[in-house]
Amino acid sequence: MIPFKEDDTFSAAFTLSQQVYDGFISTFGDINPLHTDASFARDKGFEGKVMQGNILNGFISYFIGMALPIRNVIILSQDILFRAPVYLGESLTLMAKVEDIHESVNVVTFKYDFTNKQNIKVAKGHFQIGIL
Amino acid sequence: MDKETTEILHEINDIFIDVLDDDSIVLTPETTSDDIEDWDSLTHIQLVVAIERHFKMKFTAQEIRSWSNVGEMVEAIINRSKLAI
Repeated sequence: MIPFKEDDTFSAAFTLSQQVYDGFISTFGDINPLHTDASFARDKGFEGKVMQGNILNGFISYFIGMALPIRNVIILSQDILFRAPVYLGESLTLMAKVEDIHESVNVVTFKYDFTNKQNIKVAKGHFQIGIL
Repeated sequence: MDKETTEILHEINDIFIDVLDDDSIVLTPETTSDDIEDWDSLTHIQLVVAIERHFKMKFTAQEIRSWSNVGEMVEAIINRSKLAI
C-alpha cells in the first residue's frame, strides 16, 4: 500500500548555515573560488560566495529519508535544475508534490522546488522513490 | 506476429534501449530477463515505470508478476489498450 496520493504536497525548511557549508567543503572538497572567494564571485556578477548547488541535493536526501511520513524508502532517481544562486545564511523552503504513482512497482514520483525568502524559485526538479 | 504486436514490441524495444542504455537490445516475444544482462530487479522497476508512462496505462503488481516474457508484456498492453477504447 502506497501511503501517498496524487497531488499530496509536503514541505520542509532548510537553512544554508555556516555549518552546512563547512561540512560540505570538508566532506567533498569543492573549494572552487566561486564558492569560497567573495571578491571572485562578485567579479562574476554574483552578490557574494555562491553556495555549492549540490548542497541542495543533500537537503533532498534528508527530505526523502527523514521528512516524508515513511522510513521504508529508497531514492531511485533525482534531477535538479538550478535557476538562481543561493548565498550563505539563506533559508529555503522545499515543496514537493506527488506527480505520479506506479502502484505495480511501488514507485512514487515527486515534482519539487526550492524557494527562498524572496519567493524566488532557486531550483526545481523531480525525485523518484521506491517504497520498500 | 500481427502488426499491432510488432508495433508495440518495437516501442518497448526503444524503452529497453533507453532505460538499460544498451543499443544492442533486440526484443522478441520470447525474450526474458535471463536474456538481457542488465535486466535485474531494480531496472525492472524503471522499465515498468517507463512502459506505464509511455503507454499511459497502469498495471497491477499481480499482472506484472504474471509476465514470464516480453510477449506476455506486449499482450497485456494490447489488452489494456482495448479496455480503454
